[in-house]
Amino acid sequence: MTKHFNVSRRGFLKLGGTTAAIAGAVGGSRLHAMEQKLGGEDFSPVTGKPRQAVPYTCMVCNIEDGGIAYVEDGRVVKLEGNPDHPGNRGKLCAKGNSGFQHVYDPDRIMTPLMRAGARGEGKWKRISYDEATSILATKLREVIQRSEKAGDPAIRNEIVFKWGRNRTGGAVHRFMHAMGSNAMVNHTNICESSKKVGLEPSWGPDIESVDYTNTKYVLNFGSNVMETAYFHNPNAQRLVDGMVANKAKLVTFDPRLSNTAGRSDEWFAPFPGTDGAIALAMAQVIMTEKLYDDAFIRNWTNVTPERLIAHLAPYTPEFAEKESGIAARDIRRIAREFATTKPAATFSYRGPCKHVYGSYQEAAIHMLNVITGNVEKRGGYCLPRGMGWPQPEPKPPAGKVPSVLAAPPLYPLASHAVSTHMPYMIMKGDAKVSVYMHYYDNPAYAYPSSHVWIDLLKNEKLLPFVVSFSCYMSETTELADLIIPDVTYLERHDPESMPSDLRPWLGIRQPVIKPLGNTQEFRETLIQVAHKIDSDGTLGVKKYFAFKNSEEWMRAHFDNIPGLKEDGGYDYLKKNGVWPKYGKVDPETAKIVDKNGNEVQPEFGLYLKELSATDMAGAEVKPDGTIVKNGKTIGCQVNGRNHVGFGTPSARIELYKESYKKYGFNPLPVYKRLPSRDKKADELVLTTYKVNVHTQSRTASLKYLAELYHKNPAWMNPKTAAAKGIADGDLIRVTSPLGYLVTKVHVTEGIHPDVVAVSTACGHSAYGRLAQLKHRDKDAEWALGGDPDITHNVWWDDKGVHPNPIVRLAVDPIGGSQGWYDTVVTVSKAQPGDKYGDVKVSVEQSMKDYEETLRYAYTGDIHRANHKEVDVDWDHLPKPQAGAGH
Amino acid sequence: MTECPTLTQFDAGEECGAQAGLFALLGRCLEAEIDERLLTALRGELREPLAEAGVDSACLDGDIDRVLGDAAVEFAALFVVPGAASPYASTFQTGALFQEPADRVARWYADNGFAFRNAHSGEFPDHVGTMLAFVGKLYEVEATALAESRVEAAREVRERRGRFVVEELGSWAPGWCRVAAAVAEHPFYRQVLALTERVLWEELSNLVSARRLRELSAANARGPARMPLNPDYRKASGL
Repeated sequence: MTKHFNVSRRGFLKLGGTTAAIAGAVGGSRLHAMEQKLGGEDFSPVTGKPRQAVPYTCMVCNIEDGGIAYVEDGRVVKLEGNPDHPGNRGKLCAKGNSGFQHVYDPDRIMTPLMRAGARGEGKWKRISYDEATSILATKLREVIQRSEKAGDPAIRNEIVFKWGRNRTGGAVHRFMHAMGSNAMVNHTNICESSKKVGLEPSWGPDIESVDYTNTKYVLNFGSNVMETAYFHNPNAQRLVDGMVANKAKLVTFDPRLSNTAGRSDEWFAPFPGTDGAIALAMAQVIMTEKLYDDAFIRNWTNVTPERLIAHLAPYTPEFAEKESGIAARDIRRIAREFATTKPAATFSYRGPCKHVYGSYQEAAIHMLNVITGNVEKRGGYCLPRGMGWPQPEPKPPAGKVPSVLAAPPLYPLASHAVSTHMPYMIMKGDAKVSVYMHYYDNPAYAYPSSHVWIDLLKNEKLLPFVVSFSCYMSETTELADLIIPDVTYLERHDPESMPSDLRPWLGIRQPVIKPLGNTQEFRETLIQVAHKIDSDGTLGVKKYFAFKNSEEWMRAHFDNIPGLKEDGGYDYLKKNGVWPKYGKVDPETAKIVDKNGNEVQPEFGLYLKELSATDMAGAEVKPDGTIVKNGKTIGCQVNGRNHVGFGTPSARIELYKESYKKYGFNPLPVYKRLPSRDKKADELVLTTYKVNVHTQSRTASLKYLAELYHKNPAWMNPKTAAAKGIADGDLIRVTSPLGYLVTKVHVTEGIHPDVVAVSTACGHSAYGRLAQLKHRDKDAEWALGGDPDITHNVWWDDKGVHPNPIVRLAVDPIGGSQGWYDTVVTVSKAQPGDKYGDVKVSVEQSMKDYEETLRYAYTGDIHRANHKEVDVDWDHLPKPQAGAGH
Repeated sequence: MTECPTLTQFDAGEECGAQAGLFALLGRCLEAEIDERLLTALRGELREPLAEAGVDSACLDGDIDRVLGDAAVEFAALFVVPGAASPYASTFQTGALFQEPADRVARWYADNGFAFRNAHSGEFPDHVGTMLAFVGKLYEVEATALAESRVEAAREVRERRGRFVVEELGSWAPGWCRVAAAVAEHPFYRQVLALTERVLWEELSNLVSARRLRELSAANARGPARMPLNPDYRKASGL
């Protein structure tokens, strides 16, 4: 080669090449690729000094991952996953990494504001937290005193509290119960409520935790696990572990080619709302071909295989093919694969359940796991594991009178409420409101027929006083009378636990920096308001808020939990962020290992735990094996052993739900054909979806995320588009019975030909300049504020179009879920004069939808017509009453 | 004005005192809402000198509650509510609240014997009103030093004030005043902002060379920079 290395080029290549090829035989050097640290420490790139690491719990979305915030000079400069957290194992998603931008957002509300002009006019006066809490206290005290004077506790329900995301660990309930009001309205029916109501009567609280890591087969119905969905980050990690390391097969049913569908071994695009038909047909195959777990069904459910076989007889794969469009031969094949591959599990989240009759669909999917005996198995379909925390004493009792808003009488099975109905009920005079408070909530953007909420929020007769605790000027908050801004999640305290791993954990959200600019966390606001309402203690409110500050409140939660108490209670969590510490996350396998390197195994078969002699003392074993003590089921006897069983009245999995039957619903999982299935040939079903870098409504103001995703063209199949003369990028008009919107089209084969799909998170009319791209509308406003990112770095001029105004209200009469994917629309090329972003909708038409959806409720005529098979005394169904069945 | 070599020590001290008052007034007007006391002054002894400086306080005449209410709403819309002309150096320079500029300014305050204490939540040391008030304080110190014939101390504080104005306000505050004045709906704030811009340019022109002044002028003229958009840029995800 050279004068110093006298070898021919050919010889050199041979020597080097051969050595490389037999590297293993030659032996390794002492050098290895540097192992990537999992985190836990960070340094200033300027000074080299270590940054302060403060553990916290994320709250950009609802997964509540554990994080470490790095603080330099009192400022959050970086976030990363907490390597000791069993759920997310040291990793955060894009949303979690960007969350610190919430803290320093120039469009954050930093001081209480009092409305000065007409509601929604945008005129405000700055006031102090002290003034703001005094104003709110006065309004609340007026209602309480009026209730006292009239001797009518129902008046207390005129104090209404609505939230979108309530992770306060019981603070809101404490406050409202101290007011004597039960009028608390969550957001769950626009989320997964019918999934829960499909599952919970069957096996106890909350949804499944799939052991993806150890499974061999996952049947995914309409869930986008790798991008969004419940426990997105933890589940995505484990699903990839299972697919790569355990060679698990993933089969996805979804009308849209999500990134999960695209990474599946097989993707099927069924007609929206037909997942239940597919699941029932699979169950039919499994039962008739005797692929089921006979012992599990007989011992651990309240039905027999024979009964199920008879019930499932009509649901043949051919029937399902007709409904869903999925070939019967594929349904048959996948049913056999699912039943014979062990372990296996299904997962579904907001696909099947977000339809009218979504609870039936969820119950049908759940049943597949039960009949194949995959419940609570390693690699199977497991119960959720979470940890609770005690509420500080004294605890206020619930209000004396049920609230029709919190527990609508026509939906007795909807144990997670029916929040979509609230504006309609108030407009129709079903409930009176004096003080309306909302927290982490944006229904004027996030709800179906969102224009109805705007109409309500503007109505000063129906809502005389509206208070927002938001630190962002959202579409809802801009319609408030008083804003008492909370801090961001990185500046506040909350107890936390989520079933994001099969090893339960308890975490803390704590201020990683002091509340910015002396802003005040919501918890402190509650303490102040309670003290001002009841300064002398005579109203019985103040005693429930005898905390000096938030830290003292947290100590009352954490300092007496057995085990944690011995480890240091609140102080342990403050230092570590999560408890218990199961072990270390192995950097190569991502498994949690003990000091010997062995994986710390989760516990399986929770229902098989045996009751102790102490447990059994005074208990009675019923003829069906149910073990009852003090009037409550504590377990069940199977093969002579006393097990804790499942969280149901029989302690078994109740595939047959008596509670459903009581109101004329089918007690067993069934398929009900939806009106959308009978749409005309040229109509389409509108579906919406979340994307991997945004929550539904709260992240469009985060700069990192807005740059990644900010516009949302409607997905349409090429065949459908061609038939309508529509080309990729065209301006289109999407029309539902409520009105229309004008948007652009993205023509792709990744969507069912009968579906048009539009993502959420875009098209804001509020939520700060970035979310609205206000600067593009008007140069003066562009420069206003002088944010150089807005001025120089926003390269896009399209904020997207929000689909929710044209989505019709339609709820599942069982679980109460909004049928997000049941709106039938027409799509055409935009008409002359149409402009991108135009939205025109009718409140009157939405009111008709409300009347229509009530016809599906258990008292309605459509309900009766759709459930002729149910053997119930239709003339003597229970009378509607607030709180019944909830 | 302050560097004028022909001024006597007494005159210089008097002028420093006047500058102190002017910066204090401008800072007060931008830092917080007008209260009854300030309104009385604006309608009374300040009316004439303000009018000469281009601020016609007749727009503040009328029923006190209404005047104060209207001014408070305008103040919130201009400087407080999301979407307003954020009055913070951090926002203008970094796109985020409470960043390094706030630390730098706080250090300036501390080094000169002042501590920042917010009156309302959401206030930071790098508020343009607070920074103007700080300039006023330095003028006041200088005036006192001159009155006490502490010439070296006066020179030292004058140098510090000059550095602060150039380094912390020079590259953005006059331009910010122009933008804020352009969107102000209340004539009082429009005029006060315009006056503040003029005062700052006057101050700067006394402190830096003509070349540097042109650079600062360019920095303050910052406008929206449009990037060419490629309509063909699309991805399957819809981006």
